[in-house]
Amino acid sequence: MDSSNDEALDIIITNVVATFRTRCHLNLRTIALEGINVIYKPDMGKVLMKLRKPKITASIWSSGKIICTGATSEDDAKVGARRLARTLQKLGFKVRFSAFKVVNVLAVCSMPFAIRLIDFTKKNRPIASYEPELHPAATYRIKHIKATIQVFSTGSITVTGPNVQNVASAVEQVYPLLFECQKPRCK
Amino acid sequence: MSSRVCRTCGGADIDVDQARGSAVCTGCGSVLEDNIIVSEVQFVEGSGGVSSAVGQFVSAEGPVKAPLLGSGFHTSVGKESRAQTLQGGKRHIQQLGSQLQLNQHCLDTAFNFFKMVVSKHLTRGRKMEHVIAACLYLVCRTEGTPHMLLDLSDLLQVNIYILGKTFLLLARELCINAPAIDPCLYIPRFAHMLDFGGKTHEVSMTALRLVQRMKRDWMHTGRRPSGLCGAALLVAARMHKFRRTVKDVISVVKVCQTTLRKRLTEFEDTPTSQLTIDEFMRVDLEQECDPPSFTAAQHKVKMQQLEQELVRKLDEVEGEISCYKDEIETELEKSRPKLRGIYAAYSKEIGVLSSTSEPEEPEVGDAELQAATQHLTQNFLCQVIQEEEGRDKKTEAGPEKESLGPLSGEEVSDSYCESLCLCAQYILNEQEVQVKTELWMKQNEEYLKEQEEKEERIKKEKEQGTYKEKKKKRMTKGEQVEALTAGEAIEKMLEKKKISSKINYDVLRDLNRGGKGGSGPDPPNTLTHKPLTRRRRNKTSEANDLAANAKNSVTMTTQTTTTDTTAPPPEPEPISAPTLAPPTVEEEEEEEVEDECVSALQLVGDYGCEAEEEEVF
Repeated sequence: MDSSNDEALDIIITNVVATFRTRCHLNLRTIALEGINVIYKPDMGKVLMKLRKPKITASIWSSGKIICTGATSEDDAKVGARRLARTLQKLGFKVRFSAFKVVNVLAVCSMPFAIRLIDFTKKNRPIASYEPELHPAATYRIKHIKATIQVFSTGSITVTGPNVQNVASAVEQVYPLLFECQKPRCK
Repeated sequence: MSSRVCRTCGGADIDVDQARGSAVCTGCGSVLEDNIIVSEVQFVEGSGGVSSAVGQFVSAEGPVKAPLLGSGFHTSVGKESRAQTLQGGKRHIQQLGSQLQLNQHCLDTAFNFFKMVVSKHLTRGRKMEHVIAACLYLVCRTEGTPHMLLDLSDLLQVNIYILGKTFLLLARELCINAPAIDPCLYIPRFAHMLDFGGKTHEVSMTALRLVQRMKRDWMHTGRRPSGLCGAALLVAARMHKFRRTVKDVISVVKVCQTTLRKRLTEFEDTPTSQLTIDEFMRVDLEQECDPPSFTAAQHKVKMQQLEQELVRKLDEVEGEISCYKDEIETELEKSRPKLRGIYAAYSKEIGVLSSTSEPEEPEVGDAELQAATQHLTQNFLCQVIQEEEGRDKKTEAGPEKESLGPLSGEEVSDSYCESLCLCAQYILNEQEVQVKTELWMKQNEEYLKEQEEKEERIKKEKEQGTYKEKKKKRMTKGEQVEALTAGEAIEKMLEKKKISSKINYDVLRDLNRGGKGGSGPDPPNTLTHKPLTRRRRNKTSEANDLAANAKNSVTMTTQTTTTDTTAPPPEPEPISAPTLAPPTVEEEEEEEVEDECVSALQLVGDYGCEAEEEEVF
């Protein structure tokens, strides 16, 4: 996934967050007592269940809404969510898997060059913002794709967006801008 | 005016005396004016001999109402909400700004930012403190004053990241591009605080050079500028033979020891650190460095490579060593004295024993293997059984599990069974459930006790009859009200949702009712006195509507003594007028102009907006 370079840039997806609903009320106490790898948080009103096979952590609310985090791909997230729903079904709840939606995707990418952040911010005002007092990275928000890119001076960038497609297009969009502001290697 | 030319002699030289309030011609001496209105400050002697200035404070902005409430009334009564917000904001800005020692120009600019923020409704949902701090910091950045966000957060005792969030949002919304922070800005301020006496300037210059060098060596990107300044100042102080410890510097610069030490070590790694003091002041090295994190990463890569090489070398070395070992052993055997006779037999036995010990291990290994296979088969059997159960369950609960059942064509066969097994693993059997229940109960005893007590309390109160159901933070949408017509529904909704305090709902309700079907003379008599005063300026579209509907406007006198005859005629008119215009009112006391032909949706939408517009004037 590159735009103007011969080498390919590796975009590594580190986290996928998805939500779905079971369309039935869940008794958190039952889940807490009869499930393995389950943490009950009564003050927050939710149960955390961790799956091993697609490595996923799910927050389960009694209303039947569930948030899955920690998956490494969209398909993984879906498989994990379904597995989770089946587990809940086995516990005796009338679960109906519905409204599955991938909400957030976090990816990491590394450029082969260092980046001059101040230059980059100046050229891309007001989309880019850089506050060294608050965060060491410059933040670049692409509104129409709804993606946020954090650019570090070492050349590594983290991209968050609503799905993998958006993340890929965001990287392609930002690559030429970063290429302009690169810092030439001295050694 | 007459003070230009004298009436008697025509001379233009006129002496105006402010103290006496008179204008006298210096040519002929005739008095032209007496009792000129003077705009000097006058003093009045009060009781006890205290003299005070005559006059009242009038605000620079705000409605130009003559204060009828006597002198000495500084707080305004009856001002509009927007004016009060702005006034309060100005006061806070002045307060905070004086603590930061900002000049008046900066404070005025900050107040302008604040006015823009308020007009864009960005103060909603945010603490006034945060917004004002953000406005002030915005000014500091645009003017280039050496104030850090850290200072502001110190003064307000607020988390710096919260202030930062507000600041970033305001900068984005107001489209103000604050220039990037330059660490060079902070050097004079910190140097002053470190108290170098007469040599402050020289130390500052040295520190500036150091910071510029650091910039070229790529130490400053992504780092807090205060950390760099601290390191630079420490080195500069030492160069000029001032004793400043790390602790002194960090108390001024507000970073922690580790950060400062790290910056110093990074600087040490650059080639500039090898120069002597004189060389540094004279020469500027051409070579630039990579940023420290870059070099750290490269360092890591190198280490990894080295390790790999080492491993390879180790393997080679091991190979050599084993060769040598074998050779040595063979040599030793040759050189050992051979046993003859009985001893040979014994040695053979020992040899046999040693050899027999070896097959035992495989046997033991076999035993383990057997156990393992048994275990595995048991597992497998369990899984198979569960699979069957699962399948049974599936057929039973088939219609219910519509969405889950036919997963997707591919998944059904393989992963279905697999996932079933896995799911089964996630569920505990009965014994385990019991154990876990006990554990959990013990762990969460407190919480359970609390819940029980609460229930008991509720029961008691119920018995006593003093039970108040505490509504949780949920916003109850309210009961579903049955309404026969849309009009009724609107009325009831408006009744409940008193969106604006300035609307006379009774009047509107009656108008609607009247507009529906001329329901007789009763509604008009229930009209109340409240005059509707609302001024609209912003909504230009509505202004246009107004202009269009000027002809269709209905004049309603809401003061009583409405007779039956006068009431009904105005009512049918709203029905006829088809256009939709929001009700607007002029500020007259007696006559009120209202456009009543509003659709339900517009009413609701308008009142939603009007709630916001209340402050606009």
